Amino acid sequence: MSVNATLDREREPAPRRRASLDFVHEVQQFLYREARLLDEQRYDDWFELMTEDFTYWVPVPQSRYRRDKKPTYEPGRMAHFDDTLTELKLRASRWKEKTAWSEDPPTRNVHYVTNIEIAPAEGAQDWLVRSVAISLRTRNEDEENWLGGRREDLIRETPDGLKLVRRWVFLTQTVLLSKNFNTFI
Amino acid sequence: MVDTLQPPVAAPATDFDFHRLVDVEAGWIDRRIFWDEGIYQLELERIFARCWAFVGHESQFAAPGDFVTTYIGQDAVIVAKDRRGEVNVFLNSCTHRGNRVCFAETGSTRQFTCNFHGWAFGLDGGLISAHEEHHYSRCATFDKSKLGLHRARTATYKGLIFATFDPEAPSLDEYLGDYRYYLDVLLDNDPGGTEFLDGNVKSRLRCNWKFAAENFVGDAYHAGWTHASAAAALFQRDVKVNPAHSYQANINGHGTEFGLDLFGNAMALAEPEVVEYLKENEARFAERLGKLRSRMVGAMSSSNVFPNLAYLTGLNTWRVWVPKGPHEIELNTWVLVNRDMPKRLKEAYRRGVSRTFSPTGMFESDDGENWEHCTHSNAGVVTRRQKLHYGLGLDSRMEHEEFPGAVYHVQLNDANQRAFYQRWADLMSASRWADVPKR
Ligand code: FES
Ligand SMILES: [Fe+2]
Repeated sequence: MSVNATLDREREPAPRRRASLDFVHEVQQFLYREARLLDEQRYDDWFELMTEDFTYWVPVPQSRYRRDKKPTYEPGRMAHFDDTLTELKLRASRWKEKTAWSEDPPTRNVHYVTNIEIAPAEGAQDWLVRSVAISLRTRNEDEENWLGGRREDLIRETPDGLKLVRRWVFLTQTVLLSKNFNTFI
Repeated sequence: MVDTLQPPVAAPATDFDFHRLVDVEAGWIDRRIFWDEGIYQLELERIFARCWAFVGHESQFAAPGDFVTTYIGQDAVIVAKDRRGEVNVFLNSCTHRGNRVCFAETGSTRQFTCNFHGWAFGLDGGLISAHEEHHYSRCATFDKSKLGLHRARTATYKGLIFATFDPEAPSLDEYLGDYRYYLDVLLDNDPGGTEFLDGNVKSRLRCNWKFAAENFVGDAYHAGWTHASAAAALFQRDVKVNPAHSYQANINGHGTEFGLDLFGNAMALAEPEVVEYLKENEARFAERLGKLRSRMVGAMSSSNVFPNLAYLTGLNTWRVWVPKGPHEIELNTWVLVNRDMPKRLKEAYRRGVSRTFSPTGMFESDDGENWEHCTHSNAGVVTRRQKLHYGLGLDSRMEHEEFPGAVYHVQLNDANQRAFYQRWADLMSASRWADVPKR
């Protein structure tokens, strides 16, 4: 496994399809809009972009020696998120309560999405979309937190437009360098 | 022990009257203890370099060579299992020029080789070899037996591994004292014992370590307000404490606040199977722990083992508040489960704790904001002069036929926090363990 490869799996299927320039544009706009919904904390609208069986996994990386047989990211370890859509909605429902004191005034949030790569995935309507996402959060007077990682999304073409089927986010921070992680990425 | 290790130097701040800074009789606390750099340096000497520090769970060290790097106070240490099956704890700093020896968080290894000049240390911290060692052949002071990494004393309690750098510290059993009665609620409710789930979560909070510790030792009061949004999202109602059957208890500065509601905390996991497990096993818990303690296994409760190890029954998060200066901590958390629990229940804990008590969790993400601003408001000199109120429940001491330690009626109480600060002041005032009062 190469260093910093996100997971030791993926022997990708040979590319039978190729994303058209139009489709690349569509995916890009989809990801940008999705990021804006998170910035604006419009979680209900954000959840509309997922399929019912959406899963969201953000593992906690471990800093290990190169010779170590165990990888940096591993399923089954403690994770920041390892959720179904229902569970994500439960988390987000808290932020809507008037009593979410620590979110009032709200955190200012900008999600930055870049390095988008699109490859065909197993399902005929599915695409493996890689990107890099960086979240900049600012709170109160002087609290500023950067958190970034590499994302691997499974995105499906449906009659209702593009939908996220699965998202994995491989963060770079082993120690989360802030008091919380009060957004999705 | 290596004789190159110097005795502690007299630290600054020893001229404070610590029992005046924390007036535990009347319940007032001087805010300088959360801000002052000199006081913090003395804490490193008199608390973290002397007390028994939690460094890991035996389940993290299945095979010889397994290691974890962590901290005792700000001293970086390696915890490693050697070929004889002993778990050793020693400083993670080379005896040659002091470089950090091990940079991985965890893993498995035969030895720890320093990056700088290639001195190699064994799983017990001993110096095995040096790169091109023949250069030292005529060096009289190059005595490998004296140049190992400085070792701490280690001891275990029911799976938990502790270490101390103080040869005069009392035994771990004496240090924990009767608090073991309360620890057993989680550590000994099942004959198979416990384990840590794989992996952990670390985060940084810009707060004084004592705000985190006092929160877990006895601040049931904040739960209903701070965590109102999480409770509303999960239960569509407030967090309510039962005044008739809830308590605080403390021993040697360790403390727990608790109800006898069996699954009050566990409910927050939003994993119905966990609550079922607790209900189904209540009678089995009672066989080992007795009727009263069986009702604590998943109950509304929080606890802190002095100085900086904390846990929650029911949610089974275990955590250390690692100090990183007077105004910052690293929070390091694990999940403890019964080893013989069905796999899907362990999975329910893994995911449920992430949703509640992790940096992304619905409860924990509210705590940090409070602790950070309780700390940083003390930058103001006039602000610092204002003492803080710790007077709740001054008249609530009670006798209980079973519960050991100092017991207080109703878990909404500042009693454990006062006891935590009493222990703190006792240790800060004493230049050696023999001078620490037994209370
Ligand atoms: S500092 Fe470690 S070998 Fe020189
Ligand atoms: Fe809390």
